[in-house]
Amino acid sequence: MTDGQQAADRFILFTVAGTTYAVHSHDVHHMEMIEEVTRVPNAPPFVDGVVFSRGHVIPVVNLRARFGFERVPHTLRTRLVVVQAAAGRIVGLIADEAREFVVLPAHAIQPPHDTLAGLSGRYLQGIASVGDRMILVLNLERVLDFGAIAAAGEPPVADAASA
Amino acid sequence: MSPSELPAGDEPSSDFLNDYFAECDEHLMGVRRLLLRLEQSIGRGDINTSVLDELFRHFHSLKGISGMVELRPAEELSHRAEDYLRALRRHDVRLSPEGVNALFDATQLFEQVVNARRSGGVIPAIDAAVATIAGLVSARPADLAAPVPGAPAGAPLTPHWRFLFAPSRELVGRGIRVDLIRTRLTALGEIIHAAPHVTDSGMIAFEFIVATGADAETIAALQQDGVTAERLPDASVVSDPAAAVDPEWPAVGEPSPVAGSVAPSHVVRVDLTRLDDLMRNVGDLVISRARLGETLARIESHVPAGEWRAVQENALVIDRQLRTLREAIMRVRLVPIGEIFRRMPFVVRDLARETGKRVRLQLQGQSTEIDKFLIERMMDPVLHLVRNAVSHGIETADERVAAGKRPEATITLSASTAGEIVTLEVADDGRGIDVEAVRSRAAGAGLDPATAGDAAGLLELLCAPGFSTRDESDRASGRGVGMAVVKSTVEELGGVLRMETAAGAGTRFIVELPVTLAITDALIAKVGAETFAAPQAAVREVIAVPLSAIRALEQNEITPYRGGVLPLVRLSRLFGLADAARDTLHVLVVGTGGSALGLAVDRVVGQREIVVRAATDPLVKVAGISGATDLGDGRVVLIIDPAALARQMRGRPAGVVDGIAGGGGR
Repeated sequence: MTDGQQAADRFILFTVAGTTYAVHSHDVHHMEMIEEVTRVPNAPPFVDGVVFSRGHVIPVVNLRARFGFERVPHTLRTRLVVVQAAAGRIVGLIADEAREFVVLPAHAIQPPHDTLAGLSGRYLQGIASVGDRMILVLNLERVLDFGAIAAAGEPPVADAASA
Repeated sequence: MSPSELPAGDEPSSDFLNDYFAECDEHLMGVRRLLLRLEQSIGRGDINTSVLDELFRHFHSLKGISGMVELRPAEELSHRAEDYLRALRRHDVRLSPEGVNALFDATQLFEQVVNARRSGGVIPAIDAAVATIAGLVSARPADLAAPVPGAPAGAPLTPHWRFLFAPSRELVGRGIRVDLIRTRLTALGEIIHAAPHVTDSGMIAFEFIVATGADAETIAALQQDGVTAERLPDASVVSDPAAAVDPEWPAVGEPSPVAGSVAPSHVVRVDLTRLDDLMRNVGDLVISRARLGETLARIESHVPAGEWRAVQENALVIDRQLRTLREAIMRVRLVPIGEIFRRMPFVVRDLARETGKRVRLQLQGQSTEIDKFLIERMMDPVLHLVRNAVSHGIETADERVAAGKRPEATITLSASTAGEIVTLEVADDGRGIDVEAVRSRAAGAGLDPATAGDAAGLLELLCAPGFSTRDESDRASGRGVGMAVVKSTVEELGGVLRMETAAGAGTRFIVELPVTLAITDALIAKVGAETFAAPQAAVREVIAVPLSAIRALEQNEITPYRGGVLPLVRLSRLFGLADAARDTLHVLVVGTGGSALGLAVDRVVGQREIVVRAATDPLVKVAGISGATDLGDGRVVLIIDPAALARQMRGRPAGVVDGIAGGGGR
């Protein structure tokens, strides 16, 4: 999906619970303010619901819930990062804030440590250090895949212990 | 619906190719229909020459258009088929079963070649098929050998013209493209040869050789649209000698007499995605109109009554016009269901030949119209049901005779409309479904055999993933999509699959689908703070039920209804919402008879036209929700699928009350 390993690429940065995450810019469709989300009964626990985005009905994934943090109320800084994933899927990710993009040279992105194989480690494609900042590069496929979660029938937090 | 398919940018003209594929489909359909008729002539002295002529014309066209897209294997195959037909027509060879089979095989191979071109796959080898036909043709007496290539076979009956069309930005701007020109030329006469050329200036031009009796004026008129014409000397004919018009084939030069069809020049092929865009635009209009309505309602009290009436009248006119526009677009999308039916005789014939059974296929209601999108999605499921009927449903001729039936089985494929619902049926007069066999098979596959208590339960087992009633060696089932896919496709399209079966008398599969998707009438209901829409077509009636009239029966709730009882499901509990704080609930009655079910909501607040938007992402694809809509305020309102909810509740094991499994059921 992403070819971040090959050259210097542009990434969109956003923060979730104080941590900076990155997704490849060509995976980002657009960003928008978040409006009212319609809850979808019996959807996975980290899915807040659906919204209309440019005429399409798209699921809204709460990244805080996905990464095992408490949900917080939306603020003026809360953003819906609309990403385009494999198989033509378009999904909105709720981030606490999303304001910058960076160019990351391929060599700056290291594969995640084994010791980081906890909850967020499972969703990472790599880790980049820029100056004194640490940026976690997301693997969208895994973030958006709920097959494993649904099969386990457990919330993501409990799931992480076995990983 | 999703524009996931990227345009093939590196093709010389992808529109042109799409047109080629569509045209191939049409000709192949004709070829198959005619081959079935030709087959009946085997062993008889007289072959119906009009069938031969028509077949020849189809192959001839296929050859021409294949040459134009430079798909050489396809061109070669149709060329060979032509050879054999020509030999038949001249009585050089006798019609044999081998010959007909060779044509069938060549047709199938042709389709595979075209499909490979379409999907970018590997184009299958055609050598064997070509050699087979060549062998059949060369079996004729030596003195009647094929006309020497290059030597004119005689003066053609109609004059030949060479047309050259060079597309330009200006022409495209006027909507004039090569497919339009080709359609026009086809209307003039027979296209003998067509090929793309690179002109001296490096542009692409298309050359057409057309046999036409059209007058000079008609031909001159084409020049306004970038076409140059030149009459060819009669004797020299064509750059493609194999396509030379055969004097024994007088019909070739005439336009093909397709009875009852619209003249080709009046037909426009439209990409379905363009219609979808148009439909989405109308959907947006409907939503804007609803928004305007809400704004107007807010300002009503501030406007003088006389002015208000004028506003109101205009609003009503817009409503009516919107409805007309919507219906017009829907009509464009409707196509006769015969498109699905037409290939079935071929499938049945093939399969009957493989299984050694005798089958008669009856088609009814081919002209029933249905949304083009539904046609495309239903093609494979119907194909599967028909294949199932042949390979599982009906018995061999011997078995049938032993059972006191006619040796020839009948499979009936029918379509009809009632209101907004299209009903498709695939019925056979075979052995019926062996309930015991299904049960033991189910047990073997780890399913609950007790489910097969009635036809609905039996169907559920048949449609369970991993269930198949015959050995894996059965060729037919291996090619099909499987009953599980049939069921899920029908349900995805908002339809219902039912089945009736009687031992010894046959089986009937019934598919009920909405005629159109996109826009529908719906009831708007409130459950707690949430709003839901329920398609009106699925709801029989809405009744008010006081809480005092609801009785708990074990894990279920029931209420008196029309002299009986109605099982109730509270949407609030199903969806994990708060129960209503009121003493009367509104209940949507869905289903009939024994399968009737009441969906309880807090209240029904209105009824209106909604635009159905798909919600297809796996994250939000949950049982009982069929899509989403916008009531004008930009907020998503979920559309519930009452029929799916009812199914879900019936299939639910006793004791489970709270929530339907979101992850498990999909």
